[in-house]
Amino acid sequence: MSGVGRALWGELLKARRSRMPLLTALAFALAPLAGGFFMIILKDPDLARRSGLISDKAQLTAGTADWPTYLNLLAQATAIGGFLLFSIILTWVFGREWADGTLKDLLALPTPRSAIVLAKFILVALWAAALTLLIYVIGLGVGLAVRLPAASDGAILQGSLTLAVTAVLTLLVAVPIAFFASAGRGYLAPMGVAILAVIAAQLVAAAGWGEVFPWVIPALYARMAGPTMPPPGSPSYLIVAVTAVVGVAATLAWWGLADQTK
Amino acid sequence: MIDIAIETTGLSKRYGDVLAVDRLDLRVRRGEIYAFLGLNGAGKTTTIRMLTGMVRPTAGECYVLGARVDRGGRGPWLSVGHLVETPHAYAELTVRENLEVMRRLRPATPHGAVATVIERLGLSEYADRRAGTLSLGNAQRLGLAKALLHSPALLILDEPANGLDPAGIVEIRNLLRQLARHEGVTVFMSSHILGEVARLADRLGIIHRGRLLQELDIDAVERLRRRRLLLTARDSDGARAALLGAGLSPRDGRDGALVVTDEAAIARPDDVATLLVNAGHPPTLLQVELEDLERYFLRLVGMDEGEAE
Repeated sequence: MSGVGRALWGELLKARRSRMPLLTALAFALAPLAGGFFMIILKDPDLARRSGLISDKAQLTAGTADWPTYLNLLAQATAIGGFLLFSIILTWVFGREWADGTLKDLLALPTPRSAIVLAKFILVALWAAALTLLIYVIGLGVGLAVRLPAASDGAILQGSLTLAVTAVLTLLVAVPIAFFASAGRGYLAPMGVAILAVIAAQLVAAAGWGEVFPWVIPALYARMAGPTMPPPGSPSYLIVAVTAVVGVAATLAWWGLADQTK
Repeated sequence: MIDIAIETTGLSKRYGDVLAVDRLDLRVRRGEIYAFLGLNGAGKTTTIRMLTGMVRPTAGECYVLGARVDRGGRGPWLSVGHLVETPHAYAELTVRENLEVMRRLRPATPHGAVATVIERLGLSEYADRRAGTLSLGNAQRLGLAKALLHSPALLILDEPANGLDPAGIVEIRNLLRQLARHEGVTVFMSSHILGEVARLADRLGIIHRGRLLQELDIDAVERLRRRRLLLTARDSDGARAALLGAGLSPRDGRDGALVVTDEAAIARPDDVATLLVNAGHPPTLLQVELEDLERYFLRLVGMDEGEAE
C-alpha cells in the first residue's frame, strides 16, 4: 500500500466515524427536494397560488416544468450550495487537524506529509462525488414523483452531464479552501473565505467579469445567467484548473514548509 | 552504529523579538535517558518541535539518529516515536482505531503491534472506547501508546507524566526505564519537575530562557546540591548571638529556625551543638539538610528566593 493509500485508509475511517457525511448529505438533499417543489409550482402556478404554496404576486420566470429545467436547477444549486458545502467538507477535513490538536501526530512520520495531504484531497473528491450522486438519484426520484413530462434520453443525458461537470468545477474552485483551513489553523478562516468568495462572486458577476473569476464560472456553466447565455469559454476552464492547482500546491507547501506551532 | 542519538549544533529559534531557543548544543547518547529540564516557556517544546521537524530553526542544525532533520522530510521517523505537548486523538475513533490509523502511517509496523501496545500501556479496558471519552490520564497513555507503537529506537517525549495520577507516573517511569535498560531505547524527555526526572534520567540538561545552563550526569546532581545546617533553640536570639560570636553566619529560616551555610558548621555539626550548649542555648533541633531538588533547580535558573521561605 502506498503512502497515499495508507493515509486514505485513516481519512476514510475518520470520515465514516463522524457525523459530517450524514449532515452534508442531509444538507445537499434539500436541493432536489426544493427543485421538486419548484417543479410542482411551475407545472400549475394557478393551483400553487390557490393552495397558498406561493404568493399571488409571485412572478415565475424560471422556465417550464420538465426534466432539462429540473436537472439544470440541480446543477445551479450545486454551483452555489455545493461550493459552500464542499468548503465545509474541506474545512473539516483539513482544519480539524489544527482545531483538534491532532496535526502534530502527522508531521514526523515515515509517511510523507504530501501523501497525507493528497489523501485528504482524495477523500474530499470522493465525498463530493458521493454527494453529487446522492442528489442525482434523489433528483431522479423526485422528478418521477412529481411526474415531470417524459424527455428524450439525450436531454436527460445532457442535464446529467451538466450536473456532473458543474460539481467537478465547483469542487475545483473550492480546493483553495484547504489552504485557508491549514494556514488559518482551524475552521474560522476558511469559512470566512468561502463566504467572501460567494459575496465577491455576486459582485463580479453583476459587473460582467464572471468569466474570469473562478468562483463564478461553475454557475455560468450551469447557465445561471440564463438559458440564452452561452457557456463560458476555454479560458474560464483553464482559470478553474489553475485555481485548483494553486490550491493544492499552496496546501502542500504549507504542510511541508510552514512552522507548525499549534 | 552511531553512538549519538540526538545532536544539535547552535540550534536557535526566534519568534519575532522572542528568542525561544538560543544556540543550543545537545548530545544525547544512544540508550540513555536524557531529561530536558526547564520552567514553562524555557524553550523545551520549541526544541522538541525542531527535533521532530515541525519547526524550522532560525539557525543551527539538528541530527536525529544520524539523519539531518529537515522540515517535511522523511528523516529518521521510522525509528522515532514522539509525544509533543498535550496528547490529542481523533475523538470519534476508539483507542484501537486511533492506534490503527497511526500504525498504517508507520509502514512495517506489524498488525499485532496495536494489541501489544494497548496491553503494555494498560489501555485494554478502554480499547474500544471512543478517545473523546477518555480521562486526561488515559489520553496521555494513548499518546504514549502512539509513540511506542512501532518499537522505536528513540523516544522524544514532552512532559510524559502530564495528567497521570501517582500510580500512573510510577508505571510510566518503570516502562521508560525498562525500555532504556532492556531494549536499548534512547529516551529524550522534557519536564519541569526535577524531582520526577531525577528518579529516571541518566543525564540532565537544564534549559532556561532558551539557553542550556548546565548538562550533567544525574549522579552529579547529588554532589552539586548544597547542604545547610538547620537548628532551633528555645532562645533563638541567644543562639544566633552565640553563632555570630563563633564567626558563623546564621540566617532566619522557616518557622523560627536558624540556617547556617558555613562549610565548617556543616562539616562538624557536633561542634555547633557543643558551642550552643556551652553558651547556654542548647539546640532543640540540629540537622544537616540536603538542598531539595526543586530549590537546586530554582537556584540554577536564578529563581531561588533565598533561605528564608
